[in-house]
Amino acid sequence: MRIRYAGLITAFAAASFFATPALPHHSNVAFEVNKIITLTGEVTEFRWVNPHTWIGVNVDDGKGGKAVWAIEGRAPGVLLRAGWSKNFIKLGETVTIDFSPAKDGSKTGLVARVTKADGTILANAGPPQD
Amino acid sequence: MNLDKTMLAARWGLALLGVCAVSSPLLAQAAAAAPPDLTGVYYPIMPFPPGLVPPRPAEGQPPPKLRASAPLADGSQGRGRNAPSLTPEYMAKWEVVRKSRMSGSSEYDASAKCLPLGMPNMMVMFLGMEVMQNKDKITMFSELNDSLRRVYLDGRKPSQKVLDDPTYAGYSTGHWEGDTLVVDTVALHPGSFIDGMSPHSDQMTVHETIRFAEPTLLEDHVTVTDPKALTKPWENTYRYRRAKPGKDELREFACPEGLADAK
Repeated sequence: MRIRYAGLITAFAAASFFATPALPHHSNVAFEVNKIITLTGEVTEFRWVNPHTWIGVNVDDGKGGKAVWAIEGRAPGVLLRAGWSKNFIKLGETVTIDFSPAKDGSKTGLVARVTKADGTILANAGPPQD
Repeated sequence: MNLDKTMLAARWGLALLGVCAVSSPLLAQAAAAAPPDLTGVYYPIMPFPPGLVPPRPAEGQPPPKLRASAPLADGSQGRGRNAPSLTPEYMAKWEVVRKSRMSGSSEYDASAKCLPLGMPNMMVMFLGMEVMQNKDKITMFSELNDSLRRVYLDGRKPSQKVLDDPTYAGYSTGHWEGDTLVVDTVALHPGSFIDGMSPHSDQMTVHETIRFAEPTLLEDHVTVTDPKALTKPWENTYRYRRAKPGKDELREFACPEGLADAK
């Protein structure tokens, strides 16, 4: 899978044809929602778009190298109400992500929780309404 | 001369009678309670099973271990206890949907394609709801996929043209019975799913009673009838809490925005 590094970050986003994976648009059914794995890595990308935000993280692949994972988050409206902002995650910062892995084994996932290096927790939603 | 005066008196008398005749029901109407105003922003109550939104950890405590990221929506657990009771023909259609979703495909997931969820499923109002009301029409807007539905209150009925043009939201007409809004929806597009996964036919209709159970708690009790797809009507209640000040802004969804980069 090739993720394209277009969007917020780079000046040449619009015309970019880098050899990078494409972002798949998955619904929740593409992920094993009742399973949570945790990875820590540096943020390579943070896309603040509908219907899903995306965080790219560069993670140790366990074989001495690095691998980029593309983790899908909730929509900007939800995250804003949960305390996130568009600029809250910076490129290069280290984050720990709890997420559900993809059913097809690709390096993608569905965010459950993001924890910044300073311990700030970014949940997927605010407290229940009741 | 006397005849003129008599005519004048008669005219005044009739005019007075007319005024009384007109104002009497108006006064009665004013004396009766005006229907409630549903205008405002709401969030759904517990759209998820508990445990999906972990509480903030207590001071000094490690964050709680997470068990899930989202509700299970691929049918891998079979039919839920409160699932619509499908006919054998529509159970077979459900099996096709289930198999597809369990494989990870979004083919039978309208929301993933940026389509409206349709009635009644849109009344989950998963990300929030905004209601606009006047005496002739109530419009309900769902942040999820920027969907909306209109409920006509002015007594109009769906024409044959409308019935021949099914839509995801359907065509809704309603009236007030005291403090309860009673709504009937017809002309529903068969491509939506009753509860997010159960398919339905073009004969599905939805009946709702909507009222405040508490001053800030709105309830929508839904009854779904479908002689082709359901063995009996399906009932469900959607509940919403009025948004608190400072948290009452829904956001644009613009669903296709991120699809440009999708493969």
